[in-house]
Amino acid sequence: MALESLRNHTVKKITTGYPAQWRIRIFAIVSMVVILAIIIVITLGIGSTHISFDTILQVLFAKLSFSHIQPAWSINTEIIIFDIRLPRLLLAGLVGAALAVAGATYQGLFRNPLADPYLIGVAQGAALGAVIGFMLPVSWQLGSIPLLAFIGAVSAAVMVYSIARVGKTLPMTTLILAGVAIGAFLAAITSYLMIASGDRLQGIISWLLGSFSLTSWWQVAIVTPYIVIGTLVIWLYARPLNVMQLDEEQAQQLGINVERVKLILLGAATLITGAAVCFCGIIGFVGIIIPHAMRLVWGPDHRLLLPLAAFAGAIFLILADTAARTILAPTEVPVGIITAFLGAPFFLYLLRQKKKVIF
Amino acid sequence: MRYCSLVVLALVLLACIHCTPEYIPGNLLDGLGRSVTMDTVPQRIVSLAPSNTEILFALGLGDQVVGVTEYCNYPEAAKAKPKVGGFSTVDIEKVVSLKPDLVLATQIHAKKVIPALENLGITVVALNPKTLNGVLKSITLVGQITGRSEPASELVGQLGSRIDEITKETQKMSLADRPRIFYVTWHDPLMTAGTGTLANDVINLAGGQNIASDVTGDKSIDLETVIDRNPEVIIVSVGMGTGEDSPWQYIKSEPRLENISALLHSRVYKIDGDLIHRPGPRIVDALEKMAEFIHPQLFGQDRPGK
Repeated sequence: MALESLRNHTVKKITTGYPAQWRIRIFAIVSMVVILAIIIVITLGIGSTHISFDTILQVLFAKLSFSHIQPAWSINTEIIIFDIRLPRLLLAGLVGAALAVAGATYQGLFRNPLADPYLIGVAQGAALGAVIGFMLPVSWQLGSIPLLAFIGAVSAAVMVYSIARVGKTLPMTTLILAGVAIGAFLAAITSYLMIASGDRLQGIISWLLGSFSLTSWWQVAIVTPYIVIGTLVIWLYARPLNVMQLDEEQAQQLGINVERVKLILLGAATLITGAAVCFCGIIGFVGIIIPHAMRLVWGPDHRLLLPLAAFAGAIFLILADTAARTILAPTEVPVGIITAFLGAPFFLYLLRQKKKVIF
Repeated sequence: MRYCSLVVLALVLLACIHCTPEYIPGNLLDGLGRSVTMDTVPQRIVSLAPSNTEILFALGLGDQVVGVTEYCNYPEAAKAKPKVGGFSTVDIEKVVSLKPDLVLATQIHAKKVIPALENLGITVVALNPKTLNGVLKSITLVGQITGRSEPASELVGQLGSRIDEITKETQKMSLADRPRIFYVTWHDPLMTAGTGTLANDVINLAGGQNIASDVTGDKSIDLETVIDRNPEVIIVSVGMGTGEDSPWQYIKSEPRLENISALLHSRVYKIDGDLIHRPGPRIVDALEKMAEFIHPQLFGQDRPGK
């Protein structure tokens, strides 16, 4: 009974000042889903090639309804809409969602507003894996770069985790420090390999800045299960995360197996980050600003924050990628440049508007 | 007998006058518009680009070349020369240790390498051609500063007439007669060469129209633009230094490109990247290859009378 009241008290403490009613929360989530759907349809109509909105809707309708309408458009128009723009949009959305969810998780776990999905060496590990992939004979590269990036990401995190572990506990400060050190070490190797890479540098730089160019359906198919399952697992642990965000000891007293929850959350967040970066490279800023933006507006309750961050991350990265492929069309700008360029000022604006304590 | 030795001496002197030309290059403007003063004919030359090396060797200056880059793989003799680093990463110390009296550089050395070498009192001439005409001018310039004007004008004459062979057919072509060309330099990201590049000039002279003429320089291009512009011929540059043809493999296997004209009519060709990206004498080989790919009925194996 005492435990129950303490738990209620904790939850109340977290949610004070933010809409706590479930009706408003459900409305928030539903409206994000609707916005996401609208954004997808609109951005599907934007690109370096002009295709009328009418045609887009007709192609979509024909494809989705599996009906055999006599097409009034060329096969290439259909390819552009359905095999180039749509998978690219969906991958951008998935990656945005994954980075935002992972960022929110790390920020909660580390109780550190500067935490982002790349804090414990995931980005540097992925970059090293990818650069090693670029150094391979070209005929091996096509499949091996994303695979090596993913392996690099996960093994960097595992390395950091095992170094930071003290006995049976995992002090978060040690984890951050180990992450920074391992990250710097891996980055040094990566930089050396880049200098030695000669004429492959162009490809490496473009990967490091992040790009969705050439995305096709098979990539979406590979990434989707990781990101969807990882995100759901994290969401299931939203409640323990809420409590741990305030105080680990208190969480322990409330009967939460803190070390186990940490391991599960770190594992899931690392997996979705690895899946997110392996095809499109290191995209910065999404994982740090989207969770903060959502927290500023809706409060720090992870049960609400995680799904909202996922949708907002998806919307943000889809818009950023649309800008990346159109502002200098037919040339592309690396999407990482756009996320930083749009994201930072927007975040500062939110910060000035709210002026609330983030944590 | 006394006279005999005098005659021999005179002959030797005459020969010396002939073999060391008294010609002094003097003041000149290089490819970057820099004014360079040369007091002597250079005897020790370091080349900082594969194209420069090819020009020097083509003018018979192979023996005077004392340093080249790691990428200088043509002609065969260039591979044996001491290396002074990569293309953009030049080992200044190594260059200095070779005691050159001339360094032949390019545009990419303008910001760092050229000032560094000049501070050390080394004469640098930069070449920066972006067109075939510019390549011919570079060859003439190198001829002038090395005292090899005659072989240079001979080479320029030969190259010029080979270019004319092609342009006399292509220059009168209207836009409608010029197939749309997609020129691929890399596949991930998809890269092409736009206006202001050597490849673009080669495409135009060979009687094609570059689908990426609205971009400037070497840029990425998105897949949907390529599909929308529906190129009739795709030319892939392969083997850039490494002998790899993965961009070609990509173009042949990308399912989303299946329905564009070039793939429907099997008109995807490989070209050696070393030919088309180097502003040296072999650029004319690239032009002839390109013309053959674009207009096989005019320049190909099955043209009338061949």
